[in-house]
Amino acid sequence: MSLLDVDAVDAYYGESHILRDLSLTVEEGEVCALLGRNGAGKTTTLRSISGAKPPEVRDGTVRFKGDDITGLPADDVAMQGISLVPEERRVFANLTVEENLRIAEVSRNTSNTWRRPRTATGQSMSTEQVYEDFPRLGERKTQKAGTLSGGEQQMLAIARALKQSTDLLLLDEPYEGLAPKIVEDVEAAIERISDQGVTILLVEQNAAAAIKIADRAYVVDQGAVVFDGSATELRDDDETRERYLGV
Amino acid sequence: MSDEPAAAADGETGSSFADTVGIWMPRGDELRVMTATAVVLAVFPFVFSRMPVVSDLLQGYQSLATLILIWGIFALGFDLLLGYTGLLSFGHAAFWGGAAYAAGVFSQHVSGSPILMVLAGTVFAVLLAWFLGFLSLRRGGIYFAILTLAFAQMMFYMSSSPLAFITGGENGFTGVETAELFGLFPLESELPLVLETLLGTWLYAFVAVIALLCVALGYRILHSPYGMVFRAIRENEQRAEFVGLNVWRYRLMSFIISGFFAGVAGSLFVIHGTYVPLSSLYWTTSGEVVIMTVLGGTGSLFGPVVGAGVYLYVENIVSGGHPFEFVAPFWHLILGLVFVVTIWVFPRGIWGFFRDVRDYVTGGED
Repeated sequence: MSLLDVDAVDAYYGESHILRDLSLTVEEGEVCALLGRNGAGKTTTLRSISGAKPPEVRDGTVRFKGDDITGLPADDVAMQGISLVPEERRVFANLTVEENLRIAEVSRNTSNTWRRPRTATGQSMSTEQVYEDFPRLGERKTQKAGTLSGGEQQMLAIARALKQSTDLLLLDEPYEGLAPKIVEDVEAAIERISDQGVTILLVEQNAAAAIKIADRAYVVDQGAVVFDGSATELRDDDETRERYLGV
Repeated sequence: MSDEPAAAADGETGSSFADTVGIWMPRGDELRVMTATAVVLAVFPFVFSRMPVVSDLLQGYQSLATLILIWGIFALGFDLLLGYTGLLSFGHAAFWGGAAYAAGVFSQHVSGSPILMVLAGTVFAVLLAWFLGFLSLRRGGIYFAILTLAFAQMMFYMSSSPLAFITGGENGFTGVETAELFGLFPLESELPLVLETLLGTWLYAFVAVIALLCVALGYRILHSPYGMVFRAIRENEQRAEFVGLNVWRYRLMSFIISGFFAGVAGSLFVIHGTYVPLSSLYWTTSGEVVIMTVLGGTGSLFGPVVGAGVYLYVENIVSGGHPFEFVAPFWHLILGLVFVVTIWVFPRGIWGFFRDVRDYVTGGED
């Protein structure tokens, strides 16, 4: 059984058909990349998994650890152990760095049992561990998160996700808008997290950067999967890369 | 920010007696805030209504000092909802007036003990807030405001005629029978010795103690994980959701908490006036608390209290022809001008302005 199993999903925003019969799986412990051009349906795929700004899934199912989570509200999805690091402005700008981390703790300690029991089993990082892994955050813990640089905000968003108990980490374009030097830092952080045993689904436009750290990759175009294979296969598949990724 | 909230969040283990007592004792920033509040509450009636020169300038009087505290409690609780969670309710008269009626009816039929009256009114307001919050929070933004308004107006209508046999209808509820505090001290009687000069009546002392407890409670809530979650929800609802927070439940909690404060204040209001006017359920009452809160400054503990003071001062003193006789008939206009100018010049309200000045002077940021 795969950890995450997206099975033949058809998703709509209003009348626009965004995902067409899209299937993908993520195995426990791997880094899986979801690649494609702008507008190919990558973010929509993540949204139908996470339940944040979800499209309407008219057909198909999303299973996590074998349970059907299709159409579940975002907070319940988080309780199952799926943590999302969304694209762009990702943190609570008016809260301090420390509060941004603590808020994930609050949610970890509460349980929506009257709706759906919490089944997350993943470890959650301690605050000390976070500050050790991301020393910049430790230095700025009393600052408002909005005053951090883009790279630091991205680190904070990742750290916050790891403070929930995470079985699967969804990363939506973590490199977007970051300077090359910072991209390397984020890359290192993702690899470290992966080494700690967290499963990652990484959505990226920057295919070259994603392939570097991914085990497997999917390429989507117009809402459907057009490539499915190991990262090495994709690296060698010039035709797919040129046609769908433009590199 | 003190490190207290962190301790509260992680403090599931300690449960010895010393810890339990320790949790209740204010420390650090909280102790400073509470001490300052206590001092202000202790000298306020004296400065406002009896101090030479100052009180002549202000033309304040004892009963108004009490009323300001009561509305201050109402506005403080309202700001927890508006300023922190970001929900604009336009129907808080339901909890204020509802508690006033409940406390009044309770005093007539059960007991006139001021403490029990506050308890009865507050319990009623909390249960009502639970119910109305459950119904109103289904929708956000303007729909929420209109729904709360509609429910409050329903209550106004209900007490104006169908339930007039209990509420007294248009005449208001006149059967309030307040007993002595602890069975000993009539509320309108004066305090002994120096306390009389400082605080004046037992009623003020009673209200001031409750106000102090309310400030302490508000402080605790804002510095607990709840306060943090409220601010997070206000900033971005969706983000709060995928962090795993049940936004709806926290909003309901915030609504109930503000209903609690409105209930305490409404109960004190009936004790203070020994009468419940029908207008306490009218939509203008809901509007007044919105204006007080915004005037004083949303998103702060004390701003709304200051707003309540300024509002009531204009409503009661300026309208009586002080300092200028000729403006008396236009006091609504004066209030409107004060509001517009304040919001225009200091968008963060009166309290926000003072905070900005302090930050500018100290070069710090809160």
